[in-house]
Amino acid sequence: MVGPKSREQLVGLLTIAPALFLILALTLYPVAYSIWLSLLEKHSFFPQERFIGLENFFYLWKDEEFWTSLWLGTVYSIWTILFQIILGVAAALILNESFVGRGLVRAITLFPYMVPTIVAVILWKWLLNDTYGVVNYWMLALGIVRDPISWLGTDHIMLSVIVMSIWQFFPFVLLTILARLQTIPPELYEAAKVDGASAVRRFIHVTLPQIRGILFVVILLRSIWMFTKFDTVWLMGEGAGAGRFIRTLPVYAYMRTLTYYQAGLGAALAVIMFAILIVCTAIYFRMFREEADIG
Amino acid sequence: MNRSRNRWFSTRGLLYGGAVLLVLQAAFPFFWMISTSFKPPSEVFAQPPSFIPEDPTWDNFHRLFTATGFLTYFWNSVIVSGLSVLLTMIVSAAGAYSLTRYRYIGREKIAGLILCTYMFAPIMVVIPFFILVKKIGIENTHFALVLAFTSFCLPFTLWLMRAFFATIPMELEEAALVDGAGRVRALLYVVLPLALPGIIATSIFTFILAWNDYIFTRILITSDELKTLPVGVQDLFHSSLIDWGLIMAAGMMITIPALLFFLSVQRYLIRGWGAGGVKG
Repeated sequence: MVGPKSREQLVGLLTIAPALFLILALTLYPVAYSIWLSLLEKHSFFPQERFIGLENFFYLWKDEEFWTSLWLGTVYSIWTILFQIILGVAAALILNESFVGRGLVRAITLFPYMVPTIVAVILWKWLLNDTYGVVNYWMLALGIVRDPISWLGTDHIMLSVIVMSIWQFFPFVLLTILARLQTIPPELYEAAKVDGASAVRRFIHVTLPQIRGILFVVILLRSIWMFTKFDTVWLMGEGAGAGRFIRTLPVYAYMRTLTYYQAGLGAALAVIMFAILIVCTAIYFRMFREEADIG
Repeated sequence: MNRSRNRWFSTRGLLYGGAVLLVLQAAFPFFWMISTSFKPPSEVFAQPPSFIPEDPTWDNFHRLFTATGFLTYFWNSVIVSGLSVLLTMIVSAAGAYSLTRYRYIGREKIAGLILCTYMFAPIMVVIPFFILVKKIGIENTHFALVLAFTSFCLPFTLWLMRAFFATIPMELEEAALVDGAGRVRALLYVVLPLALPGIIATSIFTFILAWNDYIFTRILITSDELKTLPVGVQDLFHSSLIDWGLIMAAGMMITIPALLFFLSVQRYLIRGWGAGGVKG
């Protein structure tokens, strides 16, 4: 006997089952497996494996390259997140005003976020090319520098990948903040205007409290994504010779696994990355408890 | 009077100045890509550079289509992205319907769990995923890629679809059921049409993710004839003298489909974003 109640339960569970199965089998299981993997010494392609406990983590503790990659990853994340948020919010405020051609400006501004990373990377490598790049051409023509700058060389590659990443990802902040700005009732601004509040004061007292919740979520998401960003950094560094100077934690994890074939060490790096994220997220939620509630 | 007019002009001026800057920073790199892709090799390296090609040519595109595997990569990208969109939409529509229309034990727990997996970045998943795929024996297949993209998109698409389904009043469905329609017909004729913006937002998100992906394809695909565009184009770099004209032509050909897809459904995207994409 199947009653209507249990039948409903059954159909409900059956319709969620495919999604649940895919997520469990293809996302959660791999993540759990990589924790196990971090305790093994294992070649990336061959089946032999040997349990070595925390050996991989001890190795990394003494590994200078690991600390460098952690430092480079932190530098990269902090600068890119900071400027994405500032530029994204500023751009959203501009595009929330009404002016001629606003729709077109909105669409064009989102382009960089929509194109494949490989396209963004080849565009920037071409713009920044030391001999034929248009950036160096302009800087020389305007007399800003005397000699062409080697943008993808050891001294400037970090700056280049940071600027390029801000360009590529700030439209996400823009889009999200803009969606929220559109839901703020115009009466709030009118009331503030009647009270004689300046544009800056209107931003601080009307806009900011309204976007605080969403800003909390955006900063969280962007931080997670920038700290684990692989393709942009890897593709910018590849073939540039100076790739070593932007070898962030995700890139280092990839190299351990697919250049040195040390899957166990690679997994240990992924686990460390994940642990750092969890700790930072927990601290973040504590620091901004109020925003977390409205977000 | 005069003072307030001046102030109006200065804020308007700032606004338009900002808008112009936004357009320039986004559009110039693309303009430069288009310009370079139509230049013959001698002009690509000319100093000072010409902004509009003086001697425009299709030569770069011709070489791209005939001398490289571009068309194969393009076709692979279309197949993989298309199938990923299809599978993601079916699975997440069914899941979202379940999460909003049925009551069962652990429903909220499941929803929470799904949301949590949104935190996992590709770099943390892809290596164990690769080993798993090897164990099942589907490495180096498009099937593995489609599975990877689908499972990777699911947390977000389910969340988004759930937000859309939740806004559709139950009464509409109940009315259809009273009129004698079955549950499936009520779903097909009442719920799905109303959830269309959500379905479209989901499909754009999945398409762009699959079309743009680099890391999964790099690791899961080894044979040249199965590569998708981003990996295929990266490999064009592997020659001693980089052929910028050819690479810019390739860049343009990858960008156009993604852009067309995005522009045709853009207004739904912004709506979807506001409706629950990030809020929640």
